[in-house]
This record gives sequence, structure tokens and C-alpha cells, in this order.
Amino acid sequence: MSQLQPYVDRKVTVVMGDGRVVVGTLRGLDQTTNIIMQGCQERVFSEDEGVEVVDLGLYLVRGDNIALIGLMDEEADAAIDLDNLKAAPLPAVRH
Amino acid sequence: MLFYSFFKTQVGQQVTVELKNDLAIQGVLESVDQFLNIKLRDIHVVDPERYPHMLSIKNCFIRGSVVRYVQLSPSTVDTALLQDAARREAQSTQQMNQAKPNVAQA
Amino acid sequence: MADTAAALTVEEPLDLVRLSLDERIYVKLRGDRELRGRLHAYDQHLNMVLGEVEETITMVDVNDEVQTQSLRSVNRTVPMLFVRGDGVILVSPPSRAA
Repeated sequence: MSQLQPYVDRKVTVVMGDGRVVVGTLRGLDQTTNIIMQGCQERVFSEDEGVEVVDLGLYLVRGDNIALIGLMDEEADAAIDLDNLKAAPLPAVRH
Repeated sequence: MLFYSFFKTQVGQQVTVELKNDLAIQGVLESVDQFLNIKLRDIHVVDPERYPHMLSIKNCFIRGSVVRYVQLSPSTVDTALLQDAARREAQSTQQMNQAKPNVAQA
Repeated sequence: MADTAAALTVEEPLDLVRLSLDERIYVKLRGDRELRGRLHAYDQHLNMVLGEVEETITMVDVNDEVQTQSLRSVNRTVPMLFVRGDGVILVSPPSRAA
């Protein structure tokens, strides 16, 4: 059984290989960590301005390009003031 | 299979996983699979000021291919047992290779 | 070949690693990283567990004003470390590891 099965239909944060951060609802996955996410929003981090949220829709992400999938605590997430959260974007994965 | 088995003995232990994007995440090892994908619970990132990107995450799945290091607690590792297991693994891997036809000579 | 002889001879590269078990080895990794530590386990991918590890990361500082580059290295120690094999460039047995 896949370790990710309990994350299905839950809200997740995905950290991509290029450092992008996408949140959405995990709908499906396979052995190679290809995933389907619904209602995706990219959270664009920058040092000068708050987090910019960009609607992306339905995504299929290839497993190779996934670094991490985090289960979101929606209550904790709602409490984050994204407009005033400043940070450099995450670095890309360097193999 | 050696490290898959090894990480299974580490389930429940506090570990720090360092990723190839320099992010370091500390948490309790919840599970591991044959690809050495790792699930952690009760996590926090080691440098939260610099990496506030995962503030609302308590549990996560890390793809094995992006792992650089896993820091372990030495008291949880039986090094003599591990060395014996490594010798046995070397022997069985070698036997498996000898059993196969040598492709290089074909 | 007898098992005892097989355990002592080097016929393929990984045999050299096997003979380094419980010894301090030097490992060069991608990303200008170097490790020195006691080898407790390895597999065919060169995944490893090392004990009493010293890591050295070498960084290049570029000074734009005077167009110079300087090397800076950062050291840290880790008591017990799993190293994923895909980042390993080379392994050197104890004689060189000082």
C-alpha cells in the first residue's frame, strides 16, 4: 500500500523540483509519485513582497519533479498572513 | 533491501532529512518504502526564518530521490549488526550477479 | 573460490568498499561536499551509513569589486548519517583518509 494513500482527498502542499510551491487537493497517485491535484494554487514567494497566489486549476505532476508532499493543517494554514509573509523562493533540487 | 530494512528499524525515531534543495526537516520517521521514500510526522524545518514555506505542515512525504542525507541518532543504530548485514548483502548481491549471464562478454 | 579467500580479495570495485567496513573512509560528493567517517553499511548504489562524520562544504565567494574569487569551506560534524548513493562521486579507503 502506498504511503501517500492517506493523503488522498486532503489538502496538500507540494514542493516541486524547481522550488515552486503548489497547494491543492490530492486526488490520485501512482507508484512513481505521479500525482493529480485539483484546485491548485501556486504560492509565489519573494523577499520584497508578500506571497502571490496564482490559480492553476487541475494538475498532473510527474513524480520526478516532486520533492515533497506535505499534509496541510487547514486551520493553521488559514492563520498564516500570506500577504505579509516574505521569503526567498525555495532553491531548486540539484541532483 | 539493506537500507529499506534498516530504515524500518528506525520507524518511531527522531531523524533529520536533508534534501537536495538544502531544506532540512526534522521529524519522527513514520514509514519508508522500497524506494526509500520517507514519511515524517510532527515535523519542523531546521531554519524556519529562511524557509517559512511549509508553516502549516505537520506531516509530510519526501521523495527518496531528493534525499541527500538522513541524520540519525547514534544510540538507535547497532553498528556491529549493520556491518554484518552489509557483508551479507554484499555476498548475496555478488551471488546474484554471478548467477546472471555476463552481458559484457556476450 | 573458497569463501574465506573471496572475503579478502578485490575482484570488483565494491569489494574495496566492503574491506573498508568499520574503517574511516573519505567520500567525495556532488555539490562540493566531502565526508570523512566510519563506514557502517553500504549497498550496490553506494548508499551508506557513516558514523562520527566530518562534512566539509567548499564554497566560492566572488568579490565583484576587485574581481577575485576566494574559496571558503564550512565544516560540521554529524554523529550518524545515512548518505544517498546517487550523490557519491568517489570513495577512498582508510590509507588516504587520515
